[in-house]
Amino acid sequence: MRILKFFFFALALGILLGTVLLAAEAPAQAKRFPPLGPLPSVPAPRDNPMSDAKVALGKLLFFDPRLSGDVSTSCAACHDPKLGWGTDQPISRGYPGAEHWRNSQTVLNSAHYAKLFWAGEVTSLESQAAAAATGNVAGNGDPIMMEERLRQVPEYVKRFNEVFGVDRPTIAMAWMAIAAFGRTVVSKAENVSFDRYAKGNQSALSPEAKRGLALFHAKAGCIQCHNGPLASDDSYHNLGVPPNPIFESSPLYQITLRYQHVIRGVPEQVYRTADRDLGLYYTTKRDEDRGKFRTPSLRELKYTAPYMHNGVFGSLEEVIEFYNRGGGEDSNKSPLVKPLGLVEQEKMDLKIFLESLSSDGPPHVMEPPEPPPYAAMK
Amino acid sequence: MRRGTTIYLYELFWILPSIAIPVGMLVALVVFAFGAGAAAWGQTLQALPPLEPPKAEQVELGKYLFFEPRLSGDGGISCDTCHDPAKGWGDGKPLSTGYPGSEYFRNAQTLLNAAYYRRSYWDGRLAGSDLPTVVRDHLTEAHFMQVDGRLFAERLKQIPEYVEMFKKAFGGEPTFGRTLSAVTAFLKTITSRNAPIERYLRGDTAALSTEARNGLALFQGKAGCIQCHNGVLFSDQKFHALGVPENPDLLADPLRHITFRRFFRTLGAPNAESYREDPGLYGVTKEKADWGKFRTPSLREVSRTAPYMHSGAFATLEDVIAFYDRGGGQHQNKSPLIRPLGLTAAEKRAVVEFLKSLAGDPVVIERPDWPDYQPRRLGQN
Repeated sequence: MRILKFFFFALALGILLGTVLLAAEAPAQAKRFPPLGPLPSVPAPRDNPMSDAKVALGKLLFFDPRLSGDVSTSCAACHDPKLGWGTDQPISRGYPGAEHWRNSQTVLNSAHYAKLFWAGEVTSLESQAAAAATGNVAGNGDPIMMEERLRQVPEYVKRFNEVFGVDRPTIAMAWMAIAAFGRTVVSKAENVSFDRYAKGNQSALSPEAKRGLALFHAKAGCIQCHNGPLASDDSYHNLGVPPNPIFESSPLYQITLRYQHVIRGVPEQVYRTADRDLGLYYTTKRDEDRGKFRTPSLRELKYTAPYMHNGVFGSLEEVIEFYNRGGGEDSNKSPLVKPLGLVEQEKMDLKIFLESLSSDGPPHVMEPPEPPPYAAMK
Repeated sequence: MRRGTTIYLYELFWILPSIAIPVGMLVALVVFAFGAGAAAWGQTLQALPPLEPPKAEQVELGKYLFFEPRLSGDGGISCDTCHDPAKGWGDGKPLSTGYPGSEYFRNAQTLLNAAYYRRSYWDGRLAGSDLPTVVRDHLTEAHFMQVDGRLFAERLKQIPEYVEMFKKAFGGEPTFGRTLSAVTAFLKTITSRNAPIERYLRGDTAALSTEARNGLALFQGKAGCIQCHNGVLFSDQKFHALGVPENPDLLADPLRHITFRRFFRTLGAPNAESYREDPGLYGVTKEKADWGKFRTPSLREVSRTAPYMHSGAFATLEDVIAFYDRGGGQHQNKSPLIRPLGLTAAEKRAVVEFLKSLAGDPVVIERPDWPDYQPRRLGQN
């Protein structure tokens, strides 16, 4: 019997040791994660198929400020093609009279996400467009008012008829057209050095970038969350990103922060003590989801600074430094985020690799089209 | 049997009318012939009863909030944008402005004495007895101030002076509901003061000039105004179609037509895109008989509240009287009360003179200076 006990004890110890060793080795095992690689063709939902006419209509609508409350704030106001399809501010600009509370994410490649917004609040570009245009600190648009505005524009009446076969534009179709346009705002593999490399052109990455790629998969452990063609696991993590100090001093940001707690229906005690963005918690109301945000894509990040949900980091160097010291302080922090011990050369290599996930030049830069005019109805 | 002396019950059916009808006709003839006194229409004019005085701290807070643009969606407009104390608490325009990026499709009515109405708005769509809801409608509707009440409550909490004022007025922090109550308290103070007609109705006959008294007689008699403009507000608070000409901008101005269609869609009125005129009360009741009817507006302070009618069609009181004198306009639902009046020029002047006596001392309120946003201690909400 004693021998048997010893055997089981040894077995348990062996399993424990093995697990610890495996866990320690885990980041090195890149194959556990969906591989990086060129983006697949853009998936379009079956109920909103793509067409050139729909995309062209969506482009007009994307730039049309009449799809907001006081006709001041088009989609492009916070997703400017000249600013990497976002803004260059830590926190997105909000509707007049308000400030937003999160960093404006790029439209680039958003078609590939399964979840949109920093806390994955919606699951389609169609819903994203509607939520942004009607959100009170974003577009503050009234859906029926916006719909009637579209009906007052002969060019839209004509185009909605051509695209959707309807006599009168509807606002839901406007979101569909904008989503279709969004699905064209994606990286082209031939413009992205990493994609050229992944397709077999060994010289597309510099030696520094190749070293950075190795670090990405191993020592730096980025691949644990930034994986697959989008370089995002489309899942939620808490990194302990430091609060943006702008919330300490700016009345408008404080207003929006509290307002978000109110409209998202948190318990009163959570509202009374609200001092930061709780991310996924607003959706689930589960304490373990506090401070979790959906992993953003790393593609095109050369053009999408500042970084993180609150835009607290202005440069890639700051982001890498943050991860290198093991992220920030948070009781909910992901166990995947640990000090990395990267030396200066490694940090630089990693940065050069990350930039190779961006297009050679700013992608899809375009001038806003002239919005078609209103006319009196016959 | 004593035949001939018994009146059977069924005989009353012809006996009574045979007496009553000729008598009634005679009375009507006499009344008509003598130009009809106040009693002719069975309606009277009454002095304004005092409102229950609101709490002074709430009135003071309400005054600030009335002029506060941060109570609108984009911080661009405030109550006084369309209800300007210097313009008779209206905006002086035929059709009101509405939220930035939109234009409204009806005339902005004065807030003077608004607290007395049983129904609010030209179409009476809200109960006047529930003024906080009327205030709420103005703040949150897309065509007015388009703000989320939860957002402006947080804005107000960011202004220490307001936090203090809410505490004094309500014993607590700024909320959506308390904001509505404070503005309501303020509105209850925006009432006619010391109008000549008020002194007259309380017994001071010298308060009206001779010409105004002539006008009053016409108002109650030949002009028949009192049929609808009666009671304390000089309004029956009922709905009538007069065939008032529409403002062409209703359809010709894209921004107004957009607001117009959206408005009726949100009321659930069908086929709003086919409307060629403002259907008024129909939008609320969806009864064909109510098409084109509007609530009789109060005539108190009327000389300060041009232009007139739901469409702002008439710029002066003289225009309005000319309209009534010719028997109103064309409309399938036009009230039978509206008939040509045959007023002489002097009579028209007298009616105008009387109408001017309905205005009291101007209710002037200076726009207060807005207190600024201040940062708060984060996490101590």
